[in-house]
Order: sequence, then structure tokens, then C-alpha cells
Amino acid sequence: MENIKILKGFKTRITGMPDLSVIQMPDPETIAVSALDIPYIRPKLLVKENDSVKTGTPLFCDKRNKCISYVSPATGIVKKIVFGDRRRLQEVVIALYKNIDKNLDKNLDKTLDKNSGKTDDFIQFETLPETDVEKIPRSKIINLLQQGGLWQCLREFPSRDTADENHAPPMIIVSLNGNDLFSPHPKVIIENETSFFEFGLKILKQFSNRIIVTSRKSSLDMLNGFKDHITHAVPDFYPSWDPAVVLYQLKKTREENRSWCITAEHLILIAKLLLTGRYPVKRVVTVTRKNDKKPHLIIRQGAPVQGLVGHLSDKYIITTGRFNGRLVDPKSHMGFFENTLNIIPDNHKEELFGFIQPGLSKSSVSRTFLSCLSNSPKDLDANTHGEERACINCGYCTSICPVDLAPNFIMKALFSDDIEDALSYGLLDCCRCGLCSYTCPSKIELTKILSDGMEAHYKDKE
Amino acid sequence: MNFLKKILDSSEKHFTGSGKLKGLEPVFDAIKTVVFFPSPKNQYIPFVRDNLDLKRFMTFVLISLLPVLIFGIYNTGLQAGLAQGESLVFIQAFLLGSRTVLPIILVTYGVGLFWEILFASLRKHKISEGFLVTGLLFPLTLPATIPLWQVALGISFGVVIGKEVFGGTGRNILNPALTGRAFLYFSYPVSMSGDVWIAAKNTVDGISGATALSILALDGEKITTALSNSGFTLSNLFFGFIPGSIGETSALCCILGASFLIITKIANFRIIIGGILGLIVTSIIFYLIPGGSDSWMDAGPLYHLCAGGFLFGISFMATDPVSAPGTNPGRWIYGFLIGFLTVTIRVVNPAFVEGTMLAILFMNVFASLLDHIIIKNNASKRIPNV
Repeated sequence: MENIKILKGFKTRITGMPDLSVIQMPDPETIAVSALDIPYIRPKLLVKENDSVKTGTPLFCDKRNKCISYVSPATGIVKKIVFGDRRRLQEVVIALYKNIDKNLDKNLDKTLDKNSGKTDDFIQFETLPETDVEKIPRSKIINLLQQGGLWQCLREFPSRDTADENHAPPMIIVSLNGNDLFSPHPKVIIENETSFFEFGLKILKQFSNRIIVTSRKSSLDMLNGFKDHITHAVPDFYPSWDPAVVLYQLKKTREENRSWCITAEHLILIAKLLLTGRYPVKRVVTVTRKNDKKPHLIIRQGAPVQGLVGHLSDKYIITTGRFNGRLVDPKSHMGFFENTLNIIPDNHKEELFGFIQPGLSKSSVSRTFLSCLSNSPKDLDANTHGEERACINCGYCTSICPVDLAPNFIMKALFSDDIEDALSYGLLDCCRCGLCSYTCPSKIELTKILSDGMEAHYKDKE
Repeated sequence: MNFLKKILDSSEKHFTGSGKLKGLEPVFDAIKTVVFFPSPKNQYIPFVRDNLDLKRFMTFVLISLLPVLIFGIYNTGLQAGLAQGESLVFIQAFLLGSRTVLPIILVTYGVGLFWEILFASLRKHKISEGFLVTGLLFPLTLPATIPLWQVALGISFGVVIGKEVFGGTGRNILNPALTGRAFLYFSYPVSMSGDVWIAAKNTVDGISGATALSILALDGEKITTALSNSGFTLSNLFFGFIPGSIGETSALCCILGASFLIITKIANFRIIIGGILGLIVTSIIFYLIPGGSDSWMDAGPLYHLCAGGFLFGISFMATDPVSAPGTNPGRWIYGFLIGFLTVTIRVVNPAFVEGTMLAILFMNVFASLLDHIIIKNNASKRIPNV
């Protein structure tokens, strides 16, 4: 195992770390497949409202490559298809079969065996033998994964779009840790699934000769018996374990910019699909809240957010990653790529002379608050703490960027439409970790400006 | 708190929308946000943000200037007393100094804020906190005897030509406070020259006293002896009981302020340390060159460090992030060259006895070029990703 040396990142300790115990949640009444957390997708619907679906039935595909399907993680009927602005698909909501009054729904009677009492009617996909994976042609694996709704687990740099099946990646980075500081612990994800993970690694070897498996140093102690699979250990501060940061540290050639990445959880799903022929529906998620130590939860993919966070007043926001996730509506459902919910308080009060308070518990990367004298975990809230001002070139963003960018100079290049300069400064290495915006004393939306720039460039190229 | 809130809420309608005082909206906004710190909900990633903002950032620079300011006021009174042959105790000297220094500060803030408000109203943006710092730095660089109309003229030039014509805070090339000072320095050399007039209470004519940097040794005498003979011993220079501009005399107070800025990570230590290194290296080189024992060439690093406005300039002026380079290697070079140029101007150029101001302004101009070179160099080291 090699250590990757990373110096910059978010080193403040914060409260709300989840407990390592695990609770199995009962199936909810509805689940949904969200399109909001899938980058760049142009969804094409394959079902209508009131259609009945099995576990594994494709609900929508990507217009850019119609073979890539997004399948139902439950058996039931399509209750509602939710569209957003400009008729952009948001969610396909499915009422679970066991919760439907069978007398009312005749459609379902045709497809499901009333008397069996089981909750899932799986679409059976083709399976692969556990041995001699090397002999299976690559195209067959691609085909099975695309049909089975799991090809999108593989993401391709630099844009982290769905992997291009015609491209042979020079490196695949498997990350044991998720996007947030408190994403599910790898121990919970991998425990009892080691054989699936090993099979998954064999599958990945069909795509690339170089497989990197990374883990946070703090997770290593809990992963006894599994350490042989981990090729690189990364420091324990956010976002060292982000595959884009790992790629930046490891890459030696230009070609490696188009490497792939996948999370350990998704790799296990792929192995399960290929070995059992059934779409795996279980997911591990964490719900974090300050001063709380909530256990890990095992849920069905696409469970409603409300059921996980409970009833909250509007004094809170819910995100799927405090630094780089999205804001979620409590009435919506968990996305395919999301496995953590942060409940963050919105302390919007106008503090009297707030700019000069001693700040015993206020976190900051500077040392302008008394809180810097203690190393106790801090609470973070969902507020800007100040107003936007012009960039004063203080360099806080540069000194925290994990991929050695100078976000302030890239921002200026982007504002003057100088995309060539922005690219040469390394714009596409940006891992969207959000730390530049986090740290900016002028409260400039640097992450948004940089990621909009990356997106515009990517769409232009497409 | 409720009382303040009520006043602000009830007067808000006059300053917004179609209110009578719409033009003064930036002023109202500035007062409101100083009293009640705004902290709206984040709309984009990341959904959590650091607690440091520009108001606190600039306030911390002001705090770092307190030792210099308090000592400056005291020393002004002390020197005025000495000039009249009186030896004043601290309180007396402080009160006497306040009478001279406070009007200068008030005029600076008054006139400077007028320009800030005018441009903020015209450009419809918020008043930047950066002026709070400029408005305190500028008076500290002036001799206490300066006429107030010159103060007003200087800060006007600094704010308008030094900053606003470039587009306001964050876009200025030169440090506005130093630009204003340079304007006065070249326009009114009599008020600003090395022979400063010492503030004297109730006297029609002030008494002329030389600053340390304008001392020249007599034939055969060493510069250090000449300095000691004129009262500029190393300890006086270090503690600052000497005539000079209001804020620059005490090396100790400047070091206190600089340490505060470095510890709180408000100023970049690379500029300050780089500058001191540059000054030490250059002054040693001049010291080692034979000859010149009667001039500042032979003064050695300690005298160069403690005399004049170098420590004040490198701690508070050169660290202004807007006009300094934004890259770390750039900051080292920038600081080092300020130190180098300061000594070089002091020693080699007979026209100017003090080089700090010119050195910083000169390097301000080159800051963008330094950044350009460093960034291009960094970019060429990256593995291209296009």
C-alpha cells in the first residue's frame, strides 16, 4: 500500500459523525428514480404513469446513448412522473406493490402473483460465472451492465460523465469513501461483501490494466483482512479521497486525464448484478446532523428523504454532501449516486456587530476567531457569514485547493472569456470540492464559476 | 438591539425603492450591515461557508494598527514637548498628540468616505470595507505638521486616481494610501521632506528637526556615531522616540502589528519576511563595499531596519493583498525586492532620503508581471488537461 501525500484540504473537525452501528429500514410506500443527480443526462422516458413495473424494468434511458438505462429498484406501479422547469425530468415515482390495494389496481394483478406475498418481482438478467472472468468478452459485460442499469456507475474524467464504452481507460480509481466527510464508512459497505468486491475488481481488470483502490487512513484500521486490496491510502481530511484529487496526484501523462472512477459501493452492486442476475436494490446511507451520532441505515434505492430525516422545520436545509452535493427537497427521493444526507441548520439571524464577535465556536481556516485556540469539533451552518465583495487577491482559495489551482486567477480568466488561459491553468483538474468558495472572505461563488466554466467547455466539445 | 433594529427598519424606506434619499443607499446599507451582520442562506455549493468575511478581515488590519496609532499619537505629543524644551508625561503627551493627529485622521476619513460614497452611489455597488484601512494608513504615513488641506487633497488623489479610476477596490494596481502620500511627497516637498516640522502647541513657528535618514556624518566620523550624536541611537530608533511621520517611528510597534497580522493569517508572512531578508542582505552587501563610512551605506542592517518607514511599509502597506502578487513565489520576490530597493534608494540615490514608499509603489507596478511569470511557469509544469 502506498501513501499519497496531499497537503491541502479542509482540516477542521466538525460535529455530527455517524455511528458505525447499522439499522435496516423497512420498505417505504414510494420510491423514485431521480434524474437530478445524474450529470449531463438527457433522459428519454420509457414508461407512462400507471404502468406497472418490475424490479429491473427500465424507466428511462439517456438520449445520448439509448443503451444506457436507468431501471426501477422496486416492483409496483408508476405513480407519478415529476417534471421541473422546461419539462426537465426530475423523478419517476413508483408506488411499491405491497402497499397497493390489489382490488383497486387491476393492472398489477396481471403481472404479479397475488398469493406469493413477495415484495419484489425481479427481471432476471443473464449471469456470469464466478471464475474465468478473463475469457468473457468486454462487449458482453458492457451490454449486461447497460441493460441492468448499472453502467452509469463508471464515470469518466475530466467531466465525470458516464464512461464512454469505446474508450480504454488508462486507470480506474475505486474509492472506498463517498463525497462527504460523513458518507457511509467503508466497513459498513464492504463487510460481508468481500467476495463481491473481489469479483468486481476482476471485472474492472477487463477494462483497464491499472486499478487503484483508495481509502482514508482513518478507515484502514477497521478494514482488517481487506487491506491487501487497497493500493493507496490518502490523508484523512476532505477531499483527499475524491477520485479527482487522487488522479491529480497519480497522473503522469496526458492520456490519464481520461481515467475512470467508481465507488466501492457501486462496484459491489455491479458484481451482484452480474453474479445473481438481479438488480440489487439495497443501499447504505448516513444521515448527519450536528451533535448527533445517527447510525448507518440500510434502505432501498430511491427511498423518500422525508422518511430518513423526519419532520424538520424550515430552519434547516438538507444536502447530499455539504460541500459538493445538491439541495434536496424533503418531499423528494434519494438519488442513485447519493448516499448521505446532511441536515444543516440555517441560522439566519442578523447578529449585532457580528463581524467583530470573538467567535468561540465559529470555524474558520484563518485564525481570526478565538475558536482557533481549541481543536474541538465545530458546528457548520448553512449561511454565508457576510456579503459578496470584489476579489482582493488574498490567496485563501489557492492555499486550500487540493489540486493546486489558483481559483482566483481562473475566475478572472473565465470572466474575460479567456477559456484557453483557464484551461492551461488547469481548470479541468478541478474536483468541484467547493473549498475555494468555502474559504473565500469575499464570498465569491468560485466553485460555481469554475464548474460552470467546465460544464460550458464540456458541452461545447460534445 | 431591538431599538436599533426599529430605527433601521423604519428608515429603510427612505433609502430604497423610490425613497427621497435613494442616492445614499450605499451609506444606509453600510451602516445597516455593520450593526447587523448579514448572513443569508447559501444558494450554491458548498452549502457551508467560512466565518471570515471582508468586514472582519479589514477590522483585523485596523486592530493591528492600534499599537502604531497609539504610540504615534503619544510620540507626536512627546516630540512637540521636547521641541519646546518640555518633558511631558504619557497622558500629557498623548493628549497633546491627539490634538494634532486626530484632526488629520478625521479629515482623511471624512474626505475619503465622501469619494467612496460618491463612487458607490454612481456605480451602484456597496461601500467596500477596504477604505477603513486606507483611511487609517494614510494619516499614519504623514508628518504631524502637515496642513489639513493637504491631507484632504492627498487622500482625494489616493482614492480617486489610486483606486476608483481603475474600477474600485480589488482592481487597483497601486496601494491607494501610498499613492496619496506619493502625490503629496512630490507636490509639497516642503511639508513632506526629511526635515519634518514638529507639531508644537501654540507656537506660530514650528521647530525644524531632521529625521534619522537625512543625517550625514561629518568628515572622518562614522555614520553610526553621527546618528547617536543626533539622538538616533539604535534603541531610540527601535522604540521610536524620534521625530518622523506619525506611524513610522516605532519599529517595535510595527513588529507587534506585523506579528498580529501573520498569526491571524490576515497578511501573508512571505511578503514581510521576504522584505526583511531583502533589506538585511542588501544592507550587508553595501556595508561590505569599501568606503562610504560617513553615509547610510555603512549603517548596517539593524539601523536600516529600524530607521525610517521600512517596517511600517513592509508590514502594513506592502501586505495590501490587492496590490501585491497573488502567488507565493511572487510574494517572496516582491517582498525581497522591496527590501532591496529601499536600501538602494536610501544609499545610492541622493535625491530621496527615504526609499520605502517608492520601493513599494514600484513593486506594486511589477506585482502583476511577477504573477504572470509565476502562473505561466506553474501552468507549464502541470500535465496538460484540455
